[in-house]
Amino acid sequence: MAEKKTADDHRRLKLPSMIRKYNRHLWNGNVPNVSLLLAAISVALVMSIPLIYVVYQSLTAGRASWLRLIGTRIPNLLWRTLSLATSVTIGSIVIGVGLAWLITRTDLPGRRIWRWLLAVPLVIPPYIGAVAYINILGPRGMLFRLLARLGSDQLNLSYNVFSFSGTLLVMTLFTYPYVFLITSSAFRKLSQTYDEAGKSMGRGAFYIFLKVNLPLILPAVGAGGVLAFLYVLGDFGAVSMMRYVTFTSAIFFQRVGFDIPSAAVLSLVLIALTVLVLIIEKALRRKKVFYQSSGTARDVRLLKLGWGKYPALFFVGGIFFLSVFLPVAVLIYWTVIAAGQGLIDSSFAGYMLNSFTIASFSALFSIILSVPILYLYSRNPSSVSNFIYKSSYTGYALPGVIVALGLVSLFNNHIPVLYHTVFLLIIAQVIRFMPQALQSGEAAINMISPRMDESARSLGYSTWKVIFYVTLPSMMPGLLAGGALVFVNTIRELPATLMLRPPGFETLAIRVYYHASEAMYAQAAPGALLIIIVSIIPLHLLLKNY
Amino acid sequence: MNKSMFKLLFAGASLTVLAGCQSEGTTGGEAQELVVYSSRNEIFVGDLLDKFEEDTGIEVSALHGIEPLQIMEESGNVQADVFISNDIGSMEYLAREDLLRSTEPENVESIEAAYRAENNEWIALSSRARGFIYNKDMIDEADVPNRMEDLLENDYSDVPNGFAITRGGNGGMISNVSALRHEWGDERTREWVDAIQENAAGIFEGHGDIRRAVGEGVHAFGLVNNYYYHQQLMEPTDNNVGFVYTDQGEGEMGAIVNAAGVGLLANSPNPEAADIFLDWLMEEENQLAFVGESLEVPMNRDLEPPFEQAVRLDELQLQDMPLMELGNYFEDTRNLIEDAGLDLNLR
Repeated sequence: MAEKKTADDHRRLKLPSMIRKYNRHLWNGNVPNVSLLLAAISVALVMSIPLIYVVYQSLTAGRASWLRLIGTRIPNLLWRTLSLATSVTIGSIVIGVGLAWLITRTDLPGRRIWRWLLAVPLVIPPYIGAVAYINILGPRGMLFRLLARLGSDQLNLSYNVFSFSGTLLVMTLFTYPYVFLITSSAFRKLSQTYDEAGKSMGRGAFYIFLKVNLPLILPAVGAGGVLAFLYVLGDFGAVSMMRYVTFTSAIFFQRVGFDIPSAAVLSLVLIALTVLVLIIEKALRRKKVFYQSSGTARDVRLLKLGWGKYPALFFVGGIFFLSVFLPVAVLIYWTVIAAGQGLIDSSFAGYMLNSFTIASFSALFSIILSVPILYLYSRNPSSVSNFIYKSSYTGYALPGVIVALGLVSLFNNHIPVLYHTVFLLIIAQVIRFMPQALQSGEAAINMISPRMDESARSLGYSTWKVIFYVTLPSMMPGLLAGGALVFVNTIRELPATLMLRPPGFETLAIRVYYHASEAMYAQAAPGALLIIIVSIIPLHLLLKNY
Repeated sequence: MNKSMFKLLFAGASLTVLAGCQSEGTTGGEAQELVVYSSRNEIFVGDLLDKFEEDTGIEVSALHGIEPLQIMEESGNVQADVFISNDIGSMEYLAREDLLRSTEPENVESIEAAYRAENNEWIALSSRARGFIYNKDMIDEADVPNRMEDLLENDYSDVPNGFAITRGGNGGMISNVSALRHEWGDERTREWVDAIQENAAGIFEGHGDIRRAVGEGVHAFGLVNNYYYHQQLMEPTDNNVGFVYTDQGEGEMGAIVNAAGVGLLANSPNPEAADIFLDWLMEEENQLAFVGESLEVPMNRDLEPPFEQAVRLDELQLQDMPLMELGNYFEDTRNLIEDAGLDLNLR
């Protein structure tokens, strides 16, 4: 390496030797190409700009805004948001851990198929699940009509689906897969010897689960629970469909009223909550090491459920019925009605085209922009590249309403040319979802030996040439997989699209949201169904992450 | 294989970019366009805008359900040409901030001067009055409140399934509160807001939710604008509803009135198209199309209301306040509602 001198090296030589020494030290002797570094820094800056701007706005919001909000609003929102998030997390853990244990550790009939079926709720956006459940449990809903047809004329309409319990039900049914998937993989890695020890003492299946397995997989359960908790913190669509006000919908309401200072203050509280949860998650992940046993690879011996397989099947089947079958059936029912009424028309095709256009561009830009960051992170490891890499994740970690809020005010005030353009909409999606391309791209680039880069460079290739002709082609499958996830998430995305779209620009998700909130279910269903179908395509990519 | 994947990707990318440019080209070319902001529900405005597109060939891009302060926030970067609003208070407020411009459309005299801004910065086209829609199967007309004050003096906890209101961010609710501040002052109005927030069994995002809920018997009565009652009567089912106009007794303040209308934005991107729109809208046929499916009552007295049994404004005892006055209250009313927390309350 020492003998080759590229153009970069010449430029570096002009630096005073002190700085040069420090620079080498910072990069562990492996100083990156300047243009690569600049490209990565600019991408990371764009990725974290909504956060920076929202924090800046909240700090300049003035005492009046803060005082008004701290007095009444913030405690109330904290209570509503945290009580919902905690309850959903507990619900998800109960369902997710129960299912994971049944499917990995017992002789439940059809366990291999169930493993896939029970992950399917991941492809149903919770706001679409909410639409289905409002349809079923809502006033004059399907359940009500079914009971009426069965003859009970004097029905009590007292159950209100737009309540804490209704919101809890919907959110839990569509977030338990996070816990289920992580816990399943933990169970699979768990050594069998403990189970056998338990069995040899004559203990039953349930006792072994509770006293032997559970303590060992607790960190994994915690990690899954954190994901569910974070989901509830950031969700906008489902809670607003369920008319349950949390921080996200409060921020949304303040922003549509263009009370930006208040929206920014509420955002800062939500950011603090999110960061706190992420810190807890990190601590949990560190603990995870303890449960992984590197035991001998031996055939898994499953616990015999015996007569217990009937209630177990009922539980597993019931969850599938409630979280997949029922909502999809409701949407199919309304889609058939919509087709009969000719509601799937040319304007529907227009919404589809808009959705697919922004999703394609978001995926494409995410793939392109993630390359400099990934290359720098993997080939020039240092605290700088680590920081650049991590800050590219801000938009992913933050709730969508906050990303949108930052972009709305930033572009309206300072970059008016791009305000209300499709381009801004795409930027928002890239900020939110590019980290998924980073995730799968990182796995891909780590499989490629740096030796290949070095030999290419020794032949006189510049850094960018190496990236284009050597690294990128081998990374492509991984990047494309990440791009597919970006594509699907953009199709499903709601809050940023709602807040940033130009007038007249309608997407599938926007129409589903609008029609469902006006109780026009036949109009809402075809779009909702299409979103689910598109989401199924990369399901195996999602599952691979666990 | 890698090469072919590359080619595919780039071909796809360039194709989409090309398609994007093309669609840009058609909208930015000869054809005129018009950007409409509307704070009304899309259901009531969509058909009107379609008709305008058909009649004139001008392409309309609309953003529905926006709040008037968006126009304020974008004042340095004006996006829209036309503002359609269901609250005179907000339009007068924007006019005073010089965000709406003066106009002189043809046939503007068909609307009484009291229902227009000084220089026609806004023009009201359809009227609405506040009142209570109630479910006749659940409550007698006599038990439905007939004064705004009743909601302050009675908690209606004995009414089965209780009553419904909208959230405080709703334009109709904002102007309702403004009207009460004009009548009672801030302190009593604040008590009223606290009382309805405390006692309401349902708090909804919009009035459409309330009329459906009352029709279905989810709530016994609800505070809405009169035309939501007309809409519920037209439903094939769940339509056994009645309506009580408030404060009609002798010496009482009279019904709280508001209007929906239109204004043109100052310094907007397509001023000619905006003028064409306003002239078009003032044609009587299109004034009726403005009312459309909302089933409001047209401001123009010569026009027959689309809902034939509608009570006209001059048949009611009205609150003694020029609509323009609402503009004075707009900003502080929002603060009062936010302090009470009603803007974020849904149940």
